Amino acid sequence: MMTRSTIRATLAVAFASLAIAPSIAQQPIVLQWQTANLTESQYEPVWKKTIAEFEAANPGIRIEPVLVARKDHWTKFVAAAQAKKAPCIVSVDLTTAAYNGYLMPLDKYWNAEPAAFRNAYSPAMLSAAKWKGHLYGVPIWGGTYADIYNRDLVVKAGLDPAKPPKTFADYIAWGKRLTGNDHWATAVLGGKTDTTTRVLLTWIWANGGEAFNDDMTEATFAKDPKSLAAIKTYLGFAGATGIAAPAPTTTNYLEQTTLFAQGKIATMRNAYWAVAKVEGDNRAMKGKMFVAPNPANVPNAPTLATMTASSISSSCPHPDEAWKFIKFDAGKKWSIERAVVSNWMPLRNDLANDPQIRADPLLAEFVKIGEHARSYPLPSPIWADIAANDIVDAVQRALLAPDKTDEIFRDLDARLTKKLRDI
Amino acid sequence: MDDATVAVGGFRGKRRKPRSAAAFGRRWYGYAFVAPVALFLCAVVVVPLAHAFWTSLYRVRGLNTTFVGLGNYVRVLSDDAFWHSLGVSLVFTGCSVALHMLLGLALALLLHALAFARTPLRILFLTPWMVAPAVGATIWLWLLEPQFGVVNYLLRAAHVVSAPVAWLGEPGTALAAVVAVDVWRGVPFVMLLMLAGLQTIPAEQYEAAAIDGASAWQRFRYVTLPNLRYLIVVASTLDIINTIRHYDIIGVMTAGGPAGGTEVLPVLLYNTAFRANHFGEAAAIGVALLVLVLAFSVVYVKLTRLDRQPSA
Repeated sequence: MMTRSTIRATLAVAFASLAIAPSIAQQPIVLQWQTANLTESQYEPVWKKTIAEFEAANPGIRIEPVLVARKDHWTKFVAAAQAKKAPCIVSVDLTTAAYNGYLMPLDKYWNAEPAAFRNAYSPAMLSAAKWKGHLYGVPIWGGTYADIYNRDLVVKAGLDPAKPPKTFADYIAWGKRLTGNDHWATAVLGGKTDTTTRVLLTWIWANGGEAFNDDMTEATFAKDPKSLAAIKTYLGFAGATGIAAPAPTTTNYLEQTTLFAQGKIATMRNAYWAVAKVEGDNRAMKGKMFVAPNPANVPNAPTLATMTASSISSSCPHPDEAWKFIKFDAGKKWSIERAVVSNWMPLRNDLANDPQIRADPLLAEFVKIGEHARSYPLPSPIWADIAANDIVDAVQRALLAPDKTDEIFRDLDARLTKKLRDI
Repeated sequence: MDDATVAVGGFRGKRRKPRSAAAFGRRWYGYAFVAPVALFLCAVVVVPLAHAFWTSLYRVRGLNTTFVGLGNYVRVLSDDAFWHSLGVSLVFTGCSVALHMLLGLALALLLHALAFARTPLRILFLTPWMVAPAVGATIWLWLLEPQFGVVNYLLRAAHVVSAPVAWLGEPGTALAAVVAVDVWRGVPFVMLLMLAGLQTIPAEQYEAAAIDGASAWQRFRYVTLPNLRYLIVVASTLDIINTIRHYDIIGVMTAGGPAGGTEVLPVLLYNTAFRANHFGEAAAIGVALLVLVLAFSVVYVKLTRLDRQPSA
């Protein structure tokens, strides 16, 4: 038989549970969001506003940003994905992540959206976000690679900003005029990130070369003579030609933009986001840059355009809510905000004539250059590996031993071809 | 009852080996006291090791796995990158440990000889050891930056170099740089061990040597070194075991580059797992590294047993 004290204690626990239950039930759904750019100062004001407005409009959902340095972004994501605890919303190398089973197909969400939403993206853009016919991400923003110049240094060297170099020979001639004591024309990227590979590809394509065959089963860095010639020309900037800053094997995006902001190099091959980075590093550079298409030895040579997509990880317990956020973030308002504040080009095809986009002459020029661009990353499930490891390794070896460039890139072709056929 | 010969602390004696349940009944609480630690060790050591070995038997591509048996070991051991990495590991470990011991002993002798400011100097020398490895490596990464780093600035100001040196830009200088940073970090630990050893050497031995007319070098060679011999062997073996597993400094400073010049085995393992997503092969590299470390551990155990046995 229960005593009075036992009955009282039981009733007290029951009432306490009833009081707590609603608050537990009302706990918001927390979605983790990871992209390498959350730690970049030019994007910070935009993503904070995005989260604030989304949470205000969706009180039952909270977005928790996962801040990680760029060079650790992929490894952190992979570690979490292997443990099936990856952040719900991610921006990663889409093909590689989809191949490894880390991402959720988004077809059911995409097909349920109205045509107005779906038609904001071109088929070419959407195909870059697909793997084996399934959509794995919504294209959010991108970057077209072109040559950005320091106008003051160009004029100081007696060169005309209105007549930028059009061919490799022009570029080298400009480079020699822009190189002097403790300052150089450009920087060769040889650091251990895939940005090294991006810039290398732009030079190969500008010479009419190809690094891979059409179905990505064979590497042709050395096999294609135009590709090899372009590689030697580009890497030679840091060697025999002498127009590039020293220490190329440790030069990544960060070092390149810092050198440019400090006036140590007069030009850099980069995307529109580098403009915001440089202006952030050195306010005096605002308004002093101009952009020109990459010099090329063949007509209509394409440049490289990155495509960053927002995806849902396969281990996400709340995919419906994650889709809500992705759709919100992909909207016109935030695409324009990212372009204007962070200098990240929008990928929606309904913004090209937006007044805010057209108001920035640099952005307008990048949009124009990007009309003839090839999508990056290349469609291979092992791209994240070969772009940041094998290709970078070959570039570093060739920079350290230029007389062995042929042999190094022949070895690269053999190694990559074996990897591509072993998928 | 059977007699069993057991070795306890190097001293050999005979203890009767009990067989009765009653005897076990008297000892069960000893096992009970040890059980929680044993379970903990199983959870944090045995289970992960077993899982790693199990993973090494699979071809892992993200969340997709295929059993391949010893196929990953064949791939790893026939890959030039593994043998190159092993070579870099041995060079890195050899140079680092040698410098740890030499500089650690030198600093210990210096501190031992000082009559004043010993404590503040000890704290000063210990400071690198207090800094988290990744933090220290990041600091050195910026100190060694070719264009804007302090090291090049000072060297140019002192006219030691005329142009910026790309310390991490070439394999040779990059390896030297990471060894230097590892030495900066690792010397304090050895210094502490040696200092403790120096303080146990009886002063009478030095007095006797001085009376016999021994020089400073002779006192060091015939009094200090023999007394520290056991400690030097233990410290260097433990240091080798610790250094050959290092990832943090090299991972932050060079990620194994340039051109694989600093890619020690732990870095190769990390790159294979998290950059290439080949977890099976990475696990195989991990098992190979474990075998290497175990080999040094066996040497350590044998050396400590030999040194502790009483002479005949």
